[in-house]
Amino acid sequence: MSRKRIVQIVASILQNAYIPALFVGGIYQGFLKRGCAPILNCWGCPLALFSCPMGALQHFIGLHLIPFYIAGFFGTIGMVVGRMTCGWLCPFGFFQDLLYKIRSYKMPLPKFFSYFKYVMLVGVAGIIAYVTAEPWFCKLCPDGSLIAGIPLVLADRTGDLRALVGWHYYMKIGILLGVILFSITIKRFFCRTLCPVGAIYSIFNRFSLWKLKVDQSKCIECESCQLVCPMHVGIYRHQHDIDCIRCLDCVKICPTKAIKHEIR
Amino acid sequence: MRKLLLLIILLVTLIFAGGIWYGGKLGDFIETETVGSVMCLSCMGIE
Repeated sequence: MSRKRIVQIVASILQNAYIPALFVGGIYQGFLKRGCAPILNCWGCPLALFSCPMGALQHFIGLHLIPFYIAGFFGTIGMVVGRMTCGWLCPFGFFQDLLYKIRSYKMPLPKFFSYFKYVMLVGVAGIIAYVTAEPWFCKLCPDGSLIAGIPLVLADRTGDLRALVGWHYYMKIGILLGVILFSITIKRFFCRTLCPVGAIYSIFNRFSLWKLKVDQSKCIECESCQLVCPMHVGIYRHQHDIDCIRCLDCVKICPTKAIKHEIR
Repeated sequence: MRKLLLLIILLVTLIFAGGIWYGGKLGDFIETETVGSVMCLSCMGIE
């Protein structure tokens, strides 16, 4: 198993390690929820130890407050490592990596779909959340259904939650199923087209302290890096690509060792 | 030029880190803990 895979597994477990929830129900309520997970990880998940930064961002936007903490949180991580957390620490990204391993018809995704995640960020998690004071991205988020909605409703002993299940719940399940189906055929479909957390970090890819560097004199344009890349990035063409998640698979696969990672 | 760029990047990083500290002073940590400790019905798709 690769080092990246081990880190993904450990990170997914550590961020969702509230074991008592399995026996007593409910969600974790405590000091650790002051901190945010550095990726998209629903805070409604019974096992989640940390808050979801996108949920928190929408909460502050909905209150019409400047989100100093969340903006600082995203900015600090982004300036240091860019979109690296998406590649190494995100459980939903890991889930999509596994889905893509399922043998099926695979298809490429035109680059312009990558810009749709900014619509999700600015439009849904920004403007609509501000106007309606509701976390609209959360209302659509497939990760929320996967790790919060489905397990909490299934484990509902009193039937209170089950009684509230309606069209919105089924719509979210539909979105989740759609994302799962697309993720089987398209590499990291959600991360590339819909994730607003990835959209924020992607802005910092160009400026981050830690970055990838391609030695063009060594590159033979064999496209091995693009084939192995979980985001299908042609790093030899755009070394600061918005979709590069710094997983370093390309560094390992490059036959001429033209790709390196370095601190500025 | 490279050093200047590095300096600017470090400065901006520090400003962002300062945002975390300032947000904490304004009560953002407690607010995040409070809202994160409530079962999020929107996340679950339950109205």
